[in-house]
Amino acid sequence: MGYESSRFTERHRLALASVGVLSLASSALAHHSFAMFDRNAIRTFTGVVSNVEPGADHLQIFFALMNEQRDGVERDAQGMPIVWSLELTGAASVAKYGITTSGFPPGTVFSGAFHPARDGAHAGVIFRTRDNQSVLFKCPGRNRPAPGKHCDSVEGNTLHGNDSALPAATGGAR
Amino acid sequence: MQRTERLSPDPSRAVSTRLVAGLIGLAVCVALLALTRVPLAYAQAGDASAGRGRPFAGPTTEPVGATLPFWNRDLSTAKGGATAPGVTALERDLFTSDDFYVDRDAWLDARYFRCNSPVSIDSMWGDYTTGPKTITGDDPATGPWGHCDRGLPREALVSPYAFATAAEHYAALLAEAQAAGGPVVPSYDSLVGWQARYTRNLDIEFAAGGLSQMERARTVVIPPEYHEHPQWLIGHLTQVSTILSLLTEEYQTRFVQQLYHLAHNNTRQWSLMYCRPEGFMREWSGPGFGGLEVVALPNLVILGSGGNADRYVYVGREFTEDGAVPRLGDDVRRWLGESIGFWRDSRTLVTWTSNVRGWFTHASFEHSDQLQTIEIFTQRHGADGRYLGIEHETVFYDSDAFVQPVRDLRFLPRSAGLTEGAPKTFSYCQQTIFPIDGKGRHVSPGTVIEYEVPSLDRPWAKAFERFESRMQRPAKPDIFSFD
Repeated sequence: MGYESSRFTERHRLALASVGVLSLASSALAHHSFAMFDRNAIRTFTGVVSNVEPGADHLQIFFALMNEQRDGVERDAQGMPIVWSLELTGAASVAKYGITTSGFPPGTVFSGAFHPARDGAHAGVIFRTRDNQSVLFKCPGRNRPAPGKHCDSVEGNTLHGNDSALPAATGGAR
Repeated sequence: MQRTERLSPDPSRAVSTRLVAGLIGLAVCVALLALTRVPLAYAQAGDASAGRGRPFAGPTTEPVGATLPFWNRDLSTAKGGATAPGVTALERDLFTSDDFYVDRDAWLDARYFRCNSPVSIDSMWGDYTTGPKTITGDDPATGPWGHCDRGLPREALVSPYAFATAAEHYAALLAEAQAAGGPVVPSYDSLVGWQARYTRNLDIEFAAGGLSQMERARTVVIPPEYHEHPQWLIGHLTQVSTILSLLTEEYQTRFVQQLYHLAHNNTRQWSLMYCRPEGFMREWSGPGFGGLEVVALPNLVILGSGGNADRYVYVGREFTEDGAVPRLGDDVRRWLGESIGFWRDSRTLVTWTSNVRGWFTHASFEHSDQLQTIEIFTQRHGADGRYLGIEHETVFYDSDAFVQPVRDLRFLPRSAGLTEGAPKTFSYCQQTIFPIDGKGRHVSPGTVIEYEVPSLDRPWAKAFERFESRMQRPAKPDIFSFD
């Protein structure tokens, strides 16, 4: 950052560095309110990526929810996958956790937790702890979890974030 | 308190409108951009290089297509359903086919596109205010014919250098500079001459004062010292089939899809319809260049653009190569990529751009996330030592889109000092055209419409596919099936 080392102690530099690191879910550059999401509801899910939109302000993962049996995705009356959107913080801040267009290509099976939209839209914002920690788990290859389970239970899964476990769902777990 | 600093004398002289008006008075002839083969300035200086300055490998050529925007010309050889004289039409072509996917075998035949150029097809419904409508009525089958005996050859478009990747190319140019005692760290004073605004020959023609836009386009003569090689990326000097020969199969399909829906359904997908970015390649398109403003420092060069966002060249830095593509910052593709570079000398800047987001520029092919460029910016001076502008050589590398690298050569005349003329303004999308049923329609404030929110995953293709329900589209793997 260009500060002269003689003017700052090591503690100061570490403090500055920690402020500069953005967590997985927080954003110092929020561009919209999150009141549209129910922060009292937590849903855990496993889904299949449709595509990732690496927005500078908010990266979005579009995905189809897997069914309880984990042998397919939820579909509408016409048989088309129901696509949800999961909003994270900016693309640059989550890239260091491997959450990128190449890290989560279409077809990726992954799990996470989110606060759902209040109006029932197929959308959610990623769950974060009080310490602003969040995580996604990616299943290896096209492997799927056992019925009712998530990718954190699949051998070879990878963790993407600064938390270590999915939260307990408050209802509507998938 | 503002500190005034005496700058080194600037040998440059801006192109003034009075100069251009004077040129108008000298000659009256059609100003087309085809020029005779002329080596680049540094090649004339006898400077042999493995990676820059190779002469343009094409002949002089006239515009190819029936419709020539910018010059507002109808150059058709046949219209209204007639066939060009001396040409045997294909039984089925872009304008009569009901399914371009099954016509792949004909795509590399110029007659499939009725010997039109990309920008001709892009504009034949009257899309450009600077171009005529050449489709008769509303029937695509009446699509006009261009000139089958014209067009830059493929050899003129591909890179003449032996490098397969931008990394190899950059390394070779760096090695040359090192062998010559460089790269250099120029002094601030030695870079003052770069600080200016630049334009294009095309824009000089339109900037001439006192005439209508069409008259200007027809009468302005570009000064000989501003010579420039044919600007094939604008899309008027090549057969569509020649461009397709540069592309991989997938990217051929994408380009033909675009052209088909332009010609057939009058379904252009221009950026304002969605308030989406223009993309990296827009900078080389006909209408996309908004002028260049250069701020050159020893360790940073800002390539500012009026029509697109600014690019920053980080001089002396190196890319991280631990990801899918070389990059400077996070593993996120950027609309304009990220650029590094070095000063070969105070008059030559070499840059390498990578980490570009794949996108689409209308009237041109799509590029992928693999796009990288090697650009060489070289000052051109006249015989009297006057600084004329920048020679801009660009080699495009894209292993997903191109079968081999391609090259563009252009000259950007110095037009004014950085602080002269209109101030730089922030341009933000103000959407007045919305896609309704896949087509752009002007919508006034207060109007309520039904609007389908587009994805940013090739939204133009999603729009085109609305009209392809009866076509034999290539099957895509079902990523949601676990059978």
